[in-house]
Amino acid sequence: MIKKTFIIFLSICLIQFFSNNSYAVEPNEILENQKQEFRARNISKNIRCMICQNQSIDESSAPLAKDLRILIRNKIKDGKKDEEIYKFLTDRYGDFILLKPSFKLNTLALWLLPFVFVLIGIFIVFFHNKKSKKI
Amino acid sequence: MKKKLLIIPPLLFLLILLTFFYLLIIERNPSEIPSNLLDKSVPNFETESLLKKERFISSKEFGKEIMLVNFFATWCLPCRDEHIYIKRFSDEKGIRVIGINYKDNPKKATQWLKDMGNPYSNVPIDKYGKIAIDWGVYGIPETFIISSEGIIKYRHVGSVTKKIYKKINLLIKEIE
Amino acid sequence: MAPSLGNFALWLSLFFAISQFFISKNNNLKLIKISVNGLIISSLISFFLLMYSHVVSDFSVLNVFQNSHTTKPLLYKISGIWGNHEGSMLLWILVLTIFNYFIFKLYNKKNSTFISKTLETQAFITTGFILFTILTSNPFERMFPTQENGLGFNPILQDPALAIHPPLLYIGYVGFSAAFSISIATLSLENSEKIPWHIYMKPFVLAAWTFLSIGIALGSVWAYYELGWGGWWFWDPVENASFMPWLLGTALLHSLIIVEKRRSLQAWVLLLSILAFLLSVVGTFLVRSGILTSIHTFALDPSRGVYILAFTALLGGYSLILFGTKSKKYFDNNYFTFFSKEGSILINNILMVVVCATVFLGTVYPLLIEAFTNNKISVGEPYYNSTVIPIMIPAILVMGIGPILGWGKENKSKIIKKILPSILLTTILTIFIFLIYQSYSIVGIAGIILAFWIISNNLIILIKKNKNYSIGMIVAHLGVGLLILGITGSSVWQEEKITRMKIDSETKIEKYNIVFEKINEIRGTNYVALQGNFLIYDEKKNIIAKLKPENRFYPITNNFTTEASIHTNLFRDLYIVLGEGNLNDGWVVRIYYNPLVIWIWIGALVIFLGGITSININLKKLKILSQ
Repeated sequence: MIKKTFIIFLSICLIQFFSNNSYAVEPNEILENQKQEFRARNISKNIRCMICQNQSIDESSAPLAKDLRILIRNKIKDGKKDEEIYKFLTDRYGDFILLKPSFKLNTLALWLLPFVFVLIGIFIVFFHNKKSKKI
Repeated sequence: MKKKLLIIPPLLFLLILLTFFYLLIIERNPSEIPSNLLDKSVPNFETESLLKKERFISSKEFGKEIMLVNFFATWCLPCRDEHIYIKRFSDEKGIRVIGINYKDNPKKATQWLKDMGNPYSNVPIDKYGKIAIDWGVYGIPETFIISSEGIIKYRHVGSVTKKIYKKINLLIKEIE
Repeated sequence: MAPSLGNFALWLSLFFAISQFFISKNNNLKLIKISVNGLIISSLISFFLLMYSHVVSDFSVLNVFQNSHTTKPLLYKISGIWGNHEGSMLLWILVLTIFNYFIFKLYNKKNSTFISKTLETQAFITTGFILFTILTSNPFERMFPTQENGLGFNPILQDPALAIHPPLLYIGYVGFSAAFSISIATLSLENSEKIPWHIYMKPFVLAAWTFLSIGIALGSVWAYYELGWGGWWFWDPVENASFMPWLLGTALLHSLIIVEKRRSLQAWVLLLSILAFLLSVVGTFLVRSGILTSIHTFALDPSRGVYILAFTALLGGYSLILFGTKSKKYFDNNYFTFFSKEGSILINNILMVVVCATVFLGTVYPLLIEAFTNNKISVGEPYYNSTVIPIMIPAILVMGIGPILGWGKENKSKIIKKILPSILLTTILTIFIFLIYQSYSIVGIAGIILAFWIISNNLIILIKKNKNYSIGMIVAHLGVGLLILGITGSSVWQEEKITRMKIDSETKIEKYNIVFEKINEIRGTNYVALQGNFLIYDEKKNIIAKLKPENRFYPITNNFTTEASIHTNLFRDLYIVLGEGNLNDGWVVRIYYNPLVIWIWIGALVIFLGGITSININLKKLKILSQ
């Protein structure tokens, strides 16, 4: 009897914790259509949880993360495309909410520089090869 | 040719360090995100009002004078802390403040405002948090300054402290 | 008493560090010996006095009050010393003084000028860190009136892996400081060509790289077991701060081999050793300055940031200018083709540096954007996955054949003969894996092929028992192959099931049946918890395991945590997390099937063992040399 009461008590406490802190994707959020659910998970994995440290809304237990997960699924069910959903979120929260930075003018350097680094690397190797061959 | 090129990496290194130095000196909160709605019109929304019978229609409320919008909830402790400053905005400075009640229990909210005093000219209810998402809200309390043309001019995330209270008053004076 | 003594010892160590800086200029053996020994002893004393204050729970010490509590288990009271900013600085200093001592041990009549110069540089670095600690982060700061108990400590951080993680990382960073000092000495002195500086550098680089590897791995182990969703690397800025020196360290280690055997790539080694340590300091800056927030960052304090930045600028400016002006004589023109051992190491180097530059770009870019455009963007996992992985792939391919190529050049037809057995073995092992896992994704296939490519090549080297190959290298490379195997399996073939279960209900994942047996309440040393009991059955209806995930509540810090329960074997992990729920509606249960995860940890351990083996062999060689 005492054991059961304790369990009920602790569950209530944990519900308070969890209802203010629902634990990442929940069973009742999962869409029936597998393709849609897959899309939803993929989009969620690219959306930052704004109040967590470096987590996506897919992994996060924060209330806002849950709200956004449900919002994304509703929009998918309404037939919105991925780009439209991303635009909806970035219009309101800015580019910061994207974990994969978008391809914009201000992220040009971010995306191009790795290629440039590889090219410089290849150049150095060829240059070293050529130079040492002459000798 | 080669020697001149070698200057580039150390220069870049120095530039990056200078940038870090700049970021350290200026006052910034590394975890605060700037609002994407700055200099944009207030999002349109329509919802129930907590204390009035008529529905709250945003197009009718904004666009006439400088206003503040404050997202709050009874379950949010920092909202309680900042309440005194919200009251000062409306009582001492005569600024119209709209309080958007976020994901709350209406009865509790009504009681809360009774107990703590109601600084809000109107209290639209955001039952599911949809309005907050449209405003790019991510952590309540949040306070926005709206110009007399209905343009969002400033947002503060977190409770209004004495410092922020002074800052908002200054900004309002500038906007007018 | 103890804290004041500790503070005194800290100031004393500053005195010895400054003394060492000035004394080494004069190359006076007796005085140098006094300062080196004085440094390490005073540093040890201050460290142990802080430890004493924590162990006896002396809450008059601010550091103890902020981070400890009487109910904390002893192990975590001790490891709590370096779990906070101020205490961890004391650990940094201690490791610096220990490595300083080892540098001093190299001193002999022939290299006295060289080692003195190295000690001078090392003294400068140590002074910088001690001064930083005293000025901005003194752990012996007192707090009056003394409270009865402390602020406790985050329960998630009370974990054995996390306890040992910082000391191992610091051995890494500080090891690179020794390599840095040796580099500076080499560049500043005129006739250092006669000094075998690369032989002095190698043990430090080996130690630094080996311990940095295991330190990083333990951080990931902790994340996997503690954080509750099976992740183990998040490209968090602070994780990147440890990964970048590791990448350069890998390049440095390999280049040292070439310097040793062929006297090539000397300038490269000097530059890499400078950069590796600079990045370690920049990493320290990112973590402790408050310039960005992450799970790992310590408390915010701009003054700390300004100090470290100035220190970095000083070190970086001086070392890079020194390299720019004095490195010319170390550039060589030894010829080697692509298809040679040197060629593959050079390619590996370039790729490691490119990955490092990319990770640095991703980490620093949001800050640059914020400074220049007042906008905030974030660079998360997807960016790094898209950029780093494609660059790593050729590096791994080269890593397979590199060791078996000859020095200087290799006959191209001979190469095909040499790699034929490993291609065969790779194919066989890949097919074997696919018979077990039967999952067909291109990324998965690519990863598995790469992993077995490395493993096959090294197994064949082992089988052939060719004594030309360093056993440490073979073991370490094998470890990398196993690591890739584990990373591929767990990332690509992971399965997840999220469902609500009532007591006595059953669910299925892969070929396993999972029965929710009951809910218990349990009491731990400083927590209470709800524990779910789950029975796992295989397809033949035999019980494989009983998993018991918990949801804990720590009353003192008012924290809730979830503890996942994991059943591990060589093929997969079964990972269960208990969510919210109640007796009526049932509980949310999240079940993960993570294939090959244990190979990540085995791989990391094997890499570590390879490193340790190499350190052993290297130290033996050094002993013979000095005799």
